[in-house]
Amino acid sequence: MTGIPTTQLAMQCSPQQTAGRDTAHIMRLVVIASLPGVLVSTWFFGVGTLLNILLATIAAVAFEALSLRLRQQPVRWTLTDNSALVTAVLLGIAIPPGSDWWLVISGVFIAVVLSKQVFGGLGQNLFNPAMCGYVFLLLSFPLEMTSWKIPVAPRDALEFNPLTFSNLLTSLQFTFHWPGTGNDIDGLAMATPLLEQKLAASSAILEILESGVTPLRLLDHESGSGWELSNIGYLLGGLFLLYKRIISWHIPLSIITTVIALSLIFYSENSVFVYGSTYLHLFGTATMLGAFFIATDPVSSASTPRGKLLYGMIIGISMYSIRVWGSYLDSVAFAVLAGNLLVPLVDRCTLPRIYGHSRTGT
Amino acid sequence: MGALAFTPWFIVLVRILAGLIVIYLSWRILARLQTVSQESKRLEQLQGQQPDLRQKIELLLPQTQCGQCGFSGCAPYAEAIANGDAINKCPPGGDRTIRHLANLMHLPVIALDPEHGELASPSIAYIREAECIGCTKCMQACPVDAIVGAAKLMHTVIASECTGCDLCVEPCPVDCIDMLPAPVHTNKYWELPHLREKGIKTDHTLESVLS
Amino acid sequence: MKIASNRDRTRAVRSSSLAGGIHPESHKQHSLRSVIMATPIPEALIVPLQQHQGSPAEPLVKPGDSVLKGQILAKAINSSSLPVHAPTSGKVINIGPYPFPDEFGSSQHAIELRTDGQDQWIELNTVDNWQTLSPEDIVDRIQQAGISGLGGAGFPAHRKFDAKKPMELLIINAVECEPYITADQSLLREFASEVISGARILQYASQATRCVIVTESDKKDAIEKLRDALPESDLELLELTPRYPLGSEQQLVEAITGQQIPGGKHPVDIGILVFNAGTAKAVHDAIELGQPLISRVTTVCGDSLRTPKNFQVLLGTPVSFLLSLCGVDLNQLDRLILGGSMMGYTLQDTDVPVIKTTNCLIAGSRPEFPIQPTARPCIRCDFCSSACPVSLMPQFLYQSLHAENYATAEQLGLPDCIECGACAYVCPSNIPLVHYYRAGKLELLLKQQEQQRSAYRKERYESRKQRLARDTMQRRGSRRRSVARPENPDVSDDSLQTFSRQQAKIEIADAVARVKARRQGTDRPEQPASRKNDE
Repeated sequence: MTGIPTTQLAMQCSPQQTAGRDTAHIMRLVVIASLPGVLVSTWFFGVGTLLNILLATIAAVAFEALSLRLRQQPVRWTLTDNSALVTAVLLGIAIPPGSDWWLVISGVFIAVVLSKQVFGGLGQNLFNPAMCGYVFLLLSFPLEMTSWKIPVAPRDALEFNPLTFSNLLTSLQFTFHWPGTGNDIDGLAMATPLLEQKLAASSAILEILESGVTPLRLLDHESGSGWELSNIGYLLGGLFLLYKRIISWHIPLSIITTVIALSLIFYSENSVFVYGSTYLHLFGTATMLGAFFIATDPVSSASTPRGKLLYGMIIGISMYSIRVWGSYLDSVAFAVLAGNLLVPLVDRCTLPRIYGHSRTGT
Repeated sequence: MGALAFTPWFIVLVRILAGLIVIYLSWRILARLQTVSQESKRLEQLQGQQPDLRQKIELLLPQTQCGQCGFSGCAPYAEAIANGDAINKCPPGGDRTIRHLANLMHLPVIALDPEHGELASPSIAYIREAECIGCTKCMQACPVDAIVGAAKLMHTVIASECTGCDLCVEPCPVDCIDMLPAPVHTNKYWELPHLREKGIKTDHTLESVLS
Repeated sequence: MKIASNRDRTRAVRSSSLAGGIHPESHKQHSLRSVIMATPIPEALIVPLQQHQGSPAEPLVKPGDSVLKGQILAKAINSSSLPVHAPTSGKVINIGPYPFPDEFGSSQHAIELRTDGQDQWIELNTVDNWQTLSPEDIVDRIQQAGISGLGGAGFPAHRKFDAKKPMELLIINAVECEPYITADQSLLREFASEVISGARILQYASQATRCVIVTESDKKDAIEKLRDALPESDLELLELTPRYPLGSEQQLVEAITGQQIPGGKHPVDIGILVFNAGTAKAVHDAIELGQPLISRVTTVCGDSLRTPKNFQVLLGTPVSFLLSLCGVDLNQLDRLILGGSMMGYTLQDTDVPVIKTTNCLIAGSRPEFPIQPTARPCIRCDFCSSACPVSLMPQFLYQSLHAENYATAEQLGLPDCIECGACAYVCPSNIPLVHYYRAGKLELLLKQQEQQRSAYRKERYESRKQRLARDTMQRRGSRRRSVARPENPDVSDDSLQTFSRQQAKIEIADAVARVKARRQGTDRPEQPASRKNDE
C-alpha cells in the first residue's frame, strides 16, 4: 500500500483551532478602556494620575519579575500576560494624584506580591489585588490617601490650568520630593472630590448646564465638573468593554441597579446631605470605575451567571451601606473585598442547571 | 439642585416596588429551602439503600484480600480508613486506588507506603502441574476460590478469577506456584496534560498518547 | 409536541435561546465552489470490519475470492452489528489488521480488496414500490444494507427503530454546524430529492407523525434546492440561525421542540428520531435502488490542497489517494484532521481508509492550524461557561481535574460533556480543556470498571466465607464446646478434617522429600513415587 510519505504530522487534541483572544489581548483592552476616564482626569487634575500609573507600572513589573524569579517560574513569558499592568493601572487611578512615590510603591508591593504572587500567581488569588493594595494604603495612611494634590498656582490666580509645564514640574515635586524644594510647593490640596461632592450634595455638571452656558464650558478647568466627567469617562470605557465582550453584563448591571435601587429607596428630600442622590451615587463617586473595571476582575469575581448577579448585588449593597452609614466614602474597595470573600460560597450555590438535569440536580 | 430631587410619589412607588421584590425574593428563598429539606429527607430515606462510606471505600479497594495492608482483608482495612487510617497501604490497588480514596475522603493524594509493599504489575498465579502434589494448601489459602481441585488430585488456577493476591505461594510445600505477569491490554488514551509534563508515571497498563 | 417553524420564509428560527454556543469562522467557501466529484477507483481498498458502534462483522469471504460491487463481504453477527459490502468489484487479497482511522492510530481487522477497474455491480434486489413493504421489513433492509449514521457517530441506523414506541417526530439533520465540513450541504445541493425520498421512507418505517428537515439559514443554495423538491411531499423545512454546536442531537432537539432530552437518555425516549441527511440518502439508495452502503460524500479541504472539494468516495479508499487527487503540497501539509476543526482528530498515517463515518478530511498548513501555545493558568473568566451548550462550568471541571479530583468532576457533570470543543476554542489561556475532560472521563470509566471487578471479587469472597461457615456449622452441629475457640474462617478450612492431621503431615513430608530428591538428583522428570500407606 503506497501512501503519501509524510514527515511528522502534528498531533493535537480537538479542537484544532482557537478563537485567538488570549489573556494578554484581554488585559490590553481593559487598559485601553480605562484611558478615557484617565485622560479626562488628567485634563482636570493634572498629570498626577498619569505619574501614579507610570510609577505603579514600573514597580508592578519589577515586583512581579522578582517574585517570579523567586518562585522559579518563567519570568518573561508570565509577564507578557499583562495582568500586572492592569493591576498597576487600576491602583494608579485609585491612589490620589500627587501622592508620594513611596505610597505608590508600597501599594503596588502589597497588590502584586502579597495578594497575588504569594497565592500562586495569576488565577490563584482570592482577593482583587489592586483593592488589597488600596485598602492597605487607606488604612495605614488615611491622611495621605484622602488628599488630592493638584498643581496650580494659588486659588485666586487667574490661571487654573494644571497642565502647564511649571505645573507639570510641580506634579513631579509632589511625587518625588526633589531635595531642596522644601515646603514651597504651590498647589491645591483638597479633600477627595467625593468628600466635596457629598458635602455639597450637588452636581457640578447639572449646575453648569442649568445655568445656561454652553456645554463646552464643562471642559473648563475651573468648572468643578472634573470628577463627574471622569466617571462618565469610565462608564464609556466600560461600555466599550461590554461591546467587545471582554466582560459580561451581569456584574456591572447588578451593581449599578442595586446602587440605584438603594439610593432611591432611602432617598429623602431633606436628608440628601446624608444619603446623597442617585445621580451622585452613580457619578459623584467611584461606582462606575468599580462596576466596570474593579469588580469585573475575572480571577476574584464570581463565575456562574446567577452568581455574578448575586455578587454584584452584594457589592452594590456594601458600597451603598459603607458610603452612607459607614465611615469610608471610598467604599468601592471594601465592597469589592467583601464580595470576593463570598465568591466561593456564591459560586457553589449558583451552579447552573445542566442540560437534561432537573433543578434539584438529578 | 432641582434636577437631583425626586417627587415624593415617585419615591413612594419605588419603595413599594422594592418591598414587593423583597417579599417575592423571600418567598423564592423559602420555597428553595423547602425543596432542599425535602431533598435531604428523601436522601435520608434512601440512605438504607445507598452505600454508606465504609461500603464505598470497600468497593474502591481491589478486593484481593491479600493482607499487605496489615489487616486481615479488605473489609477491615475499609473500616479502618473510614475511621481515619492512612489510605496509602494497598499495593495491589496502586496509585489509582489511592487517588480515588483521596477524592472520596477529601484527603491529599500520597505515595504508596513502602512499608506495605511496592507497586507491581498485575499478576496471575500459575501452578506447575507436573510438580503439584495435591495437598490443597493453596486452595485453603485462596480467598476467592480461584483454585480448582481436590485432595490428592490436580490443582489448577482459574486465570479469570485469580486476583493476583499472592496468598497461595507461601503455603505451597513444593513451591510450584509462579506469579506470572497478567496479560495486559494496552489502551491508548488521553492523559491529563500536566501529568505528562511532570513525567509522573500513572499506570503501566495504559500507554499515554500526547501531552 | 410543539415544533418551531419558520412563520415567515425570510426569517430563520432563532436558536439563541439555547445555552452557550459560539460562532467560529466557517471556512466552507472553498470546498463549495465545485460540485461533488466522483472519485476514480483506487488500486486497493481497505474495508474495516467495524465501521460503526457495536459488534464487528464476520467475514464471509476469504483471501483469493473475487467479489462484485455491492456483494456482502462480512455479515452482521447480532443486532448491534452491521454487514460490510464490497465498494467495487475485485479480488480479496487479505483479511487482517490494517491502520484504522481513529485518533490513536490503532489497527483493526479489515478486508483488503484489489480492484479490477470493472466496477461491476452484483444483481440488486429492488422493489417496485417500497410502500408495499412493512416497516419492519424496511428496518431489516436498512440493516442489511449496512447503514450506520453518516453524521460522524456511526450508530447503526436500524437500532434506533423500536416497533413498540411510536415516534412523534422525525428530524433529518442537515445542520452541519462545524467549520470546514460541507458534505451535507453539497449533498443537498445535488441530491435534494433523494434525501427527501429517504426521509419519507424513514418516516414510514418509524411511523412518525411529523417529519422535519432542518438546516442552517446561511446554507442558501441547499435551502433553495430543498424548497424546489419539497412541494410534492408533506415534509417541513426548518431553518435555524447558525451557531456551533447546533447539529448536536441534544441542542437540535431543544431548538426544534423546546424540550431537553433527560440526562442519560436518547431522543427516541421522548419520541424523537434524528437522522443525518446523508443517512437519509443512503436509505433511499438501499430501499429504492437496492444498493448497499458503499460510498459516501466526504469533504476534502485545507490550505495545503490546490483544489479542495467534495467527493463521492468509495468506502475503503485510502486518504492518501484523496489527498493526491486534490493536489496536496507536502511541504505545506502540517496537520491532517479527520472531521471538522472543532471535533476532528489528527491523523498520523495517510494510509488509513475512508469509512462510513468519515465526513471530512482537512489537510491543513501550519499557518492555518498553528501549534497551540503553552497553556497559561486559568484566569477564571467566564468565556468557557458562556460557550458551553450543556450549561456546565468548564472552569470548575478543569480545576477539579487538574487536582485529580475525579469525584468532584463527576458531580459537576463531567459525564454530560459532549466534547464539542467550544470551551477550549474560546479559552484565553489556551488550556486544552477537552483533553482534560477526555482524560477525566476515561479515569471515571476505569474507576467504574474496577469497582465492578471489586464487587465481583467481593461476592466470591463472601460466598466462600459462607461456604466455610456452612461447613463448620454442619460439622459442629450438635457438638457442644466448653470454650468457643476463636476461629478465623478466612484461613482455616474444616473440610480437611476428613483425614487426620497427623497423616497429612506425614504424607506431605514424604512429598517434600521426594521433590527435594528429584531436584537435587537427575534432570529427568521422574514418575512420582508411589505413596506408602502408613495406616
